[in-house]
Amino acid sequence: MKRLMGYTRPYKKQFIGAIIAAGLLAAVNVLLPQVLQRYMDDYLSKMSATTAVIFAFGGLYAVGTVIKALFQFFQTFLFAMGAERGLEDVRRQLFKKLHSLGMRYFDQTPAGSIVSRVTNDTMTLTDFWNVILSVIVGLFSIISSFVTMYLLNAKIAMTVLAFLPVLLIAIWYYSHYSSKVYRHMREKLSELNTKLNESIEGIGIIQQFRQEKRIATEFEATNSEYLASRNAMIRTNSLLLSPIINLLYSLALVAVLWLFGLISLHSYVEAGVVYAFTTYTANFFNPMTNMMDSLSFFQDGVVAGSRIFRILDNTEYAPAQNPDASATIATGKIEFKHVSFAYDGVHEILHDISFVANPGETVALVGHTGSGKSSIINVMMRFYEFGTGQILIDDVDIHDYPIEELRAKLGLVLQDSFMFYGDVASNIRLFNTSITDEQVVAAAKFVQADRFIEKLPNQYHARVIEGGSQFSSGERQLLSFARTVVTNPKILVLDEATANIDTETESVIQEGLRRIRQGRTTIAIAHRLSTIKDANLILVLDAGRIIERGTHDELLAQQGRYYDMYRLQNGDVD
Amino acid sequence: MGIFKKLGWYFRQEAKQYSLGVLFLSLVALVNLIPPKVIGSLVDAMDKRSLTSDRLLLWLALLLAAGVGQYVFRFGWRNAIWGGAAKLEKTLRTRLFWHFMKMDATFYQKHRTGDLMAHATNDLNAIQNVAGAGILTLFDSIITGGTTIIAMIFFVDWRLTSLAILPMPLLAVMARKLGMKLHAAFARSQAAFSRLNDKTQESVSGIKVIKTFGQEKEDTADFNQIVDKTITINKKVNFLDALFDPTTSLIMGLTYVITIVYGGYLVLNRQISIGQLVSFVSYVSALVWPMFAIGRLFNILERGNASYDRVNLLLQERSTILEASDAITTPAHGDLRFKVNKFSYPGDDHATLMNVHFTLPEGQTLGIVGRVGAGKSTIFKLLLREFDQYDGVIEFDGHDIRHYTLDALLDSIGYVPQDNFLFSTTVADNIRFSAFDKNQGQVEDAARESAVHNDILDFAEGYGTLVGERGVSLSGGQKQRLSIARAVITTPELLILDDSLSAVDAKTENEILTNLREQRADKTTIIAAQRLSSVMHANEILVLEDGHVIERGTHADLLANHGWYAEMWAKQELEQKIEGETLG
Repeated sequence: MKRLMGYTRPYKKQFIGAIIAAGLLAAVNVLLPQVLQRYMDDYLSKMSATTAVIFAFGGLYAVGTVIKALFQFFQTFLFAMGAERGLEDVRRQLFKKLHSLGMRYFDQTPAGSIVSRVTNDTMTLTDFWNVILSVIVGLFSIISSFVTMYLLNAKIAMTVLAFLPVLLIAIWYYSHYSSKVYRHMREKLSELNTKLNESIEGIGIIQQFRQEKRIATEFEATNSEYLASRNAMIRTNSLLLSPIINLLYSLALVAVLWLFGLISLHSYVEAGVVYAFTTYTANFFNPMTNMMDSLSFFQDGVVAGSRIFRILDNTEYAPAQNPDASATIATGKIEFKHVSFAYDGVHEILHDISFVANPGETVALVGHTGSGKSSIINVMMRFYEFGTGQILIDDVDIHDYPIEELRAKLGLVLQDSFMFYGDVASNIRLFNTSITDEQVVAAAKFVQADRFIEKLPNQYHARVIEGGSQFSSGERQLLSFARTVVTNPKILVLDEATANIDTETESVIQEGLRRIRQGRTTIAIAHRLSTIKDANLILVLDAGRIIERGTHDELLAQQGRYYDMYRLQNGDVD
Repeated sequence: MGIFKKLGWYFRQEAKQYSLGVLFLSLVALVNLIPPKVIGSLVDAMDKRSLTSDRLLLWLALLLAAGVGQYVFRFGWRNAIWGGAAKLEKTLRTRLFWHFMKMDATFYQKHRTGDLMAHATNDLNAIQNVAGAGILTLFDSIITGGTTIIAMIFFVDWRLTSLAILPMPLLAVMARKLGMKLHAAFARSQAAFSRLNDKTQESVSGIKVIKTFGQEKEDTADFNQIVDKTITINKKVNFLDALFDPTTSLIMGLTYVITIVYGGYLVLNRQISIGQLVSFVSYVSALVWPMFAIGRLFNILERGNASYDRVNLLLQERSTILEASDAITTPAHGDLRFKVNKFSYPGDDHATLMNVHFTLPEGQTLGIVGRVGAGKSTIFKLLLREFDQYDGVIEFDGHDIRHYTLDALLDSIGYVPQDNFLFSTTVADNIRFSAFDKNQGQVEDAARESAVHNDILDFAEGYGTLVGERGVSLSGGQKQRLSIARAVITTPELLILDDSLSAVDAKTENEILTNLREQRADKTTIIAAQRLSSVMHANEILVLEDGHVIERGTHADLLANHGWYAEMWAKQELEQKIEGETLG
């Protein structure tokens, strides 16, 4: 809570400005009825007003109104902008923090929930800050009205104050009860929308399997539950929110007039004072509705805040390099020495992995899904910190290279070629502005991606829509090759795509792969054994261990696992 | 106002609830007139020192009754009107959902998920707003506004009233104008928010690429830029929003000044009493909301109307897939004869299928291969009656598939699509999706047949594990195998695998195909694939290119043919040949 408020600190000026405006506004709100009161009691009752006096009071009221309008504007605007800036700061911090976290975090946390932390939960913080504002504004209004009433008539003012405990109980009860009802309603709504979304996306499956009735019945049940929760919310608000404040106001008004009436039975009561008192009583109760309404967001704000802090306090950082790391990669020799690794620190995924890739050589990794191929790449790319053993590049421990050096010299081509919002060129260059257009084109040519790019409208400036859905997966693969080639890495790490590429694009891709491997040390995961027959070393992995190693010819001659896999893949099984 | 007419069916249906709501609203308006009158009268009595304790008690009893009455009536209209609006939203949502369930592929080609969701959320919200806030503002402005003005004229003075309410229409104008501007600014703010959302989504999904290229800083800078833009846009929203209260104050201030000047003049001339002036001031403040309401009303109705039309347009679309009234209801089985001369997707001139003819005798297996976009999936879409408008005929057991009821046809087909859509429910419920009455044993049999049983046992809660965001995240291969299990659980007459083995490794593929051959010896199967090993055992294999069948025959025939198939096979097997091994 304190921490949530902490984010407002850089925008102290705005917030303090807003609070000062709120204070002044409360003062003006107290003074305006005073103008009317004086006018009535000193001039109208006594029938002593001249035209000049009438216009003077009119003018006074006009000036007061203009000042009031100004304060109202500043109070709302300054606070809203302070909250907005504070909220965006939290977003920036969250985003920056996310980039410092390791892959483990992203593996374990669904993308949707991370996105929701950065966007929706931060939004809830604004509501939280608004609670503070409405409480401050409410308090100002209550206190200023009370003080003025007290000055006019202490005894009657105290009577109005006697209603405060009742009000507080009502507020407490409402915020306590309604936040539960409200949360239940929100949950039902999100359940409803999730179901709706899923039913639209899965409509093909639903219709093919003739499940329309069952799905619609299930949806109808959720729809009814949501309606019930909404009606509960409406009833709660009708019973406990503004109507009850109004009722209490009416009761207070009766009490005030009763007391004034009693006085007037034996002495004179000024009309203006009664008028002013009724206005102040209204001012005393009015802000309550607002306060109660916003209080139901208080709990949401705290919940959202704690979720945000869970990210900001997360310590699953990306693996760190040695503090004085400054080595540079010159030749690109890679050596794994007895490397072991476990994602969770308990169940080992890699056991005692050792191999050497000399500069310019290709080492291929083969094995079934889950055999540990990707894990070798993951630890080499420093996505994860490995356990025991050592990884050497150019005979220097991998920890002794600055991360920037590793990113610049190790080029990873990913299995699923993620495309970003932007155009073709920006997807090849990514954010690296030092890469020229010529280099982008050259890289595309090199991997023969230019063939399809040049057929696009706007060619290199063709917009990439929705994750590159206008490209076939083969084309996306070629773009991701170009992405790697343009950075000219010393070492190439390949995670071969498994599926959905037709054989013709496949041959372009194979040619592309052959070209980018030239002159580079390559570690490649291969699914098609045919593509790696010229590798200098093939490692066959099973359950995290290297069970066979050698060249293609050597391994076939062994007639072991590799031999079987190779025959199986070629349909030679019966 | 047209929207009220369009929603007439609903108001008639809920006539009781709405009459009650409006009755309560009117009662609130009437009761609201009491306190200013009471205050004014008491002030006068005190001013004239003519107050007696009896009169005081009478007035206060009236005031108290008014307060309690307000509470009861307010509760009444809120329940009736807000409840009515909520019910309307639910009714429309049900209608829309059923419509979605019934619509065909053409419809889903035209409308994207996001748009349909927007209709079902934003549009419905705008419509329910008409039935809630719309009704409220309409009656509030008419009844409360009207009665207050009448009370001002009756209890105070008609000249003062007509002068003082002169600035008030400005409130309505302001509420409308500012409301429209704010709405537009808010739409831009929403768009900025989506952009921010998309950016975050993209960065999280592409985190590996960003890390690979070491572009964390650059990506953060890009995000910050979007944040800056968002702030600028929201500044406008906050500015417009902050204008509402001050403008209201200024307009009301004008009314008060008129009241002070002219009202004071009337008091001095003994035309009205000072108590009447106090009443008048109270009535003026009671007019703020009704005037505001008029301006808001137009915005609510405008938005509601546009939304209603959009939703109605959607509801009026009809599925092109119709069931004949005398359709065959016995489940389809038997030989399948596919004879499509030409098919183009709606709105596309290009023919996706041309002269694709084949006959698949019951119990046999057909393989379909060809490049991406050659038309493999289209054949299945026609078989599944996603599209009916083709030139040709598809027959099941000698009857046109368009003569079967959808139940009779589709219950006989188990389809495993290319994109393996699973629902966010348990693994077991996903498998028994098409046959919810299947027991655990049958679910496990289907999972074993699809070689996914052991994977499922490894999940935290086995078959009870949730799939999707809130549960286990599945690999592509696991999703494919679950989809296969979902299709085979009913042992359908016709099983269609649409490139459904692409993400499973060769060993598992072989296991599944062997299982299918055993379990489905007398059933019909169609397999489309990229990998030729998936179809090599089929009784007939079709090679498609650009919607045409360019080759057909058994695996051996096609190899002997030395065409596209043989070439692809050779390409895939090139290395093996070097080793001197012969192909299966």
